Amino acid sequence: MTATLNHRRLLEIAAYGLFIVVVLAMPAFMDAFWLNRIGKYLVYGMLGIAISLSWGYAGILNLGQGLFFGLGAYMVAMSLKLQSYTSLQQGSDTPVPDFMLWNAEPGAVTDLCCISQASFLWIPFQAQWFGLVMAVIIPTVVAYLVGSAIFRLRISGVYVAIITLALVLLVRLLIIDAQPLTNGFNGLTDLGWLTINGFEFDPYLVETYYLIAGSLIVVLLAARWLVATRAGLILQSTRDDANRARYLGYSVAAYQVFFFTVSAGIAGFAGLLYVLSAEFASPTFMDLAFSISMVVWAAVGGRSSLLGACIGAILINTIEATVSESEMLKEAWKAIIGLLFVLVVLFLPRGLAGLSQDIVGFFESRRGGKTAAKPGIAASEAGE
Amino acid sequence: MDTTPNQGRGAALTVDALGVDFGGFKAVDGFTMIVNDGELRVLLGANGAGKTTLMDLISGRTRSTSGSVYLYDKNITNWEEHQIARAGVGRKFQIPSIFRELTVAQNFEVAGTGEPSVLKNLRLGLSAGAKARIEEVIELTGLEDVLGKRAGDLSHGQMQWLELGMLIIQDARVILLDEPTAGMTQAETLKTSQIINRLKGKHTILVVEHDMAFVREIASKITVMHLGKLLAEGPMSEIETNPAVKEAYLGSGGIH
Amino acid sequence: MADVIFIGLSLASILLLIGLGLTITYGAMGVINMAHGELVMVGAYTAVMAGIYLGVNLLVALPLAFIVAGGLGLLIERLVIRHLYGRMLDTLLATWGIAILLQQMIRLEFGLSFFDIHIEGLGPGLQNLAIPAFLNQAWMIGDFTVQPYRSFIILLTIALTVVTWFLLYRTSLGIQVRAIMRNPQMAAACGIDVKRVSAYTFAYGSGLAGVAGVMMAGFKTVAPDMGSSLVVDGFLVVVVGGVGSLLGTVAASGFLGQVNGLFATWTNDILARAIVFGLVILIIMWRPQGLFSFKGR
Repeated sequence: MTATLNHRRLLEIAAYGLFIVVVLAMPAFMDAFWLNRIGKYLVYGMLGIAISLSWGYAGILNLGQGLFFGLGAYMVAMSLKLQSYTSLQQGSDTPVPDFMLWNAEPGAVTDLCCISQASFLWIPFQAQWFGLVMAVIIPTVVAYLVGSAIFRLRISGVYVAIITLALVLLVRLLIIDAQPLTNGFNGLTDLGWLTINGFEFDPYLVETYYLIAGSLIVVLLAARWLVATRAGLILQSTRDDANRARYLGYSVAAYQVFFFTVSAGIAGFAGLLYVLSAEFASPTFMDLAFSISMVVWAAVGGRSSLLGACIGAILINTIEATVSESEMLKEAWKAIIGLLFVLVVLFLPRGLAGLSQDIVGFFESRRGGKTAAKPGIAASEAGE
Repeated sequence: MDTTPNQGRGAALTVDALGVDFGGFKAVDGFTMIVNDGELRVLLGANGAGKTTLMDLISGRTRSTSGSVYLYDKNITNWEEHQIARAGVGRKFQIPSIFRELTVAQNFEVAGTGEPSVLKNLRLGLSAGAKARIEEVIELTGLEDVLGKRAGDLSHGQMQWLELGMLIIQDARVILLDEPTAGMTQAETLKTSQIINRLKGKHTILVVEHDMAFVREIASKITVMHLGKLLAEGPMSEIETNPAVKEAYLGSGGIH
Repeated sequence: MADVIFIGLSLASILLLIGLGLTITYGAMGVINMAHGELVMVGAYTAVMAGIYLGVNLLVALPLAFIVAGGLGLLIERLVIRHLYGRMLDTLLATWGIAILLQQMIRLEFGLSFFDIHIEGLGPGLQNLAIPAFLNQAWMIGDFTVQPYRSFIILLTIALTVVTWFLLYRTSLGIQVRAIMRNPQMAAACGIDVKRVSAYTFAYGSGLAGVAGVMMAGFKTVAPDMGSSLVVDGFLVVVVGGVGSLLGTVAASGFLGQVNGLFATWTNDILARAIVFGLVILIIMWRPQGLFSFKGR
């Protein structure tokens, strides 16, 4: 039985290793255009990890993950907007975003502090690091506050899902409404490039791809470490039997808040990276359909497997990109994913990752593992 | 949180006029009981007498509407479950409450971290001390062969021992056992009584039971509950001959 | 002021129409049907197609849409929902998948697009439905302009609510549905065919959605994605109103509709909706079972 366990471990390491190698080797096979696209899908992979952590491990279905993604995106976009050529050319002491100029009252001072009512909120974003830091901090703080309120009330699963759904829609509307501050429906476009030590991260450079890929790998490994800790195991126990976990002295709410917050931080970071690649931030990031899509990717890939959810997100979107030459094929692919999702919910709760683990387990037991235990959620990280 | 000392006696568990009113229905009504340090007390009563509700109240699962509960010197009335658990109360449920999706080893691990905080648990693996304690308990419960098995796949008896084992690892000063031998064979019941007897003295134990043979094995003092109230209290000999108790069990020919 | 109330009322009645079907399935069966919006969409397309191929107007399309959407609901219940009873989160997710499928089916014209066969009235583009002339003429009561079409919606909604109430509280089928709402195991023990009644209940709720779709087609452009925004609104109404409470749904849609209308006049439409969402979140946090619920499933 220990042999089976070690075998599982080995397969898992192999899967992770293979994934990392493939991701890092991408630039050898792709042109700049496709590389940029794959970069975006890697960001989706990161979102898959966030969903897996929250849903697969903590049992918290967040139907509004786009909220944290969007907040992260907007934070960094604000900084990058102030770095854009047009913003800097306003002939004032401070850079001023173009949309603020267009929307300004005639005679208003062309300066970031006072061109419109709340424009001073943009002032700290003149420092690039501020936007970068806020991109992770703001979603984390929001998640912490929301999570604390929800989980201490012991609100049950489906109602948490509904609240997160309403929340992302709420914030989306607020952002659209705050037109003078956020450019409303149009979002933030015409952004500058991330600049570190003089180096500009043009979205089509291979360096930008490696920035994203590297970040994904770091997040993936960090999340994997996290679920392997005692806290990760305790978290899974709270999902299994919250009552028993409490009776052992664990504050279930504290664990839920922690992992919900970490998941949000990852989503915020993903938002940051997405802006680097796509060069815009928009309220569409907080569309309900987008948030639920993330859940679909994670479910099909395998919610209880970080790598499974990650790969699921990347593959589904890559395939969609590949077939989108034909409008009809693209719609057909979406229909297929819809169908797959229904089937996964009905029959395959551990997604395709779970399916492949079962297949591996089947072959193992045929080769003669005596107590080939059916892998529980904790063992589900192995194999792929 | 009120930590005023109770009557200065420092009894392990003091229940003082505890009651809960569910919209007119008093499941537990003005119940008072003192369990001393190291004692093993058996709680008897017909179904619906309020025994499980009493345990729910003591351990924080249900909010009481009157009265108080003291754990040694601490007033733990209406604290949350995990706070009461950390203060030193463990509980075994009627239906084995274990982590069915996790393996047996993982169940023990979760029970044995010795550290409730999230941040302090951001470590891989257990401390050496925790590991040693878990080894002991694994031996005690005889579950060495099924450590890798999914807990939900265990036999009923094994599940009960797993839960007991987790309780022992938890090392709670006060242990609440709700029908620990429910559904067990005679052999399993014997083993369970052995485990419980080993706990006597170092831990304070409150046991709810129906199996009278088992009760005779382990009991010194018995408390009888009826309709949410205290009916009688005393050693087995007294309880058996108590007319009020007999009347409460009228029709079942007394206690066998 | 009367105008404001009227707008609020018509908004409320649309919410109610959509919410009515939803609340029956949610309350009776614990099913969160995310495909409800798509069933509305199907009703709308039924009206469009009926207009094109049968030459009938909106009014005739009403019972037609009820049957089509109801039949589709029955199919969904049999194939998918039946396997997921008691699993609220999973039904939410599975029906979302079905919603995607239904949308794509319309977009791809049931797959016929692949063979270059195009059915008029389907496809990814927009469709329109004409309101019969007699419902188009606005008339005046004193100072107050009465929009006949909106009035028609309000009246139809009231009628359907009354019919639903009647079915639920004055027929034997209704008693069975309510018994299942309170305690499905006991209902089964009393000889109620829970499977069959649940199927009919779901079909009825879906049929109502179809009717709502016809009504919407009268004043909104018909497109494959017209349903996606609806389900959230209807669904929040249902959750706020409470599990299995017809009164709750009516009250909640009235309440939320009025709140929306009021704030829309005071600030703007966008902020008004945001406020409604905020209110819903607070209500769910305070009373997850809804404002008017009793213990159901």
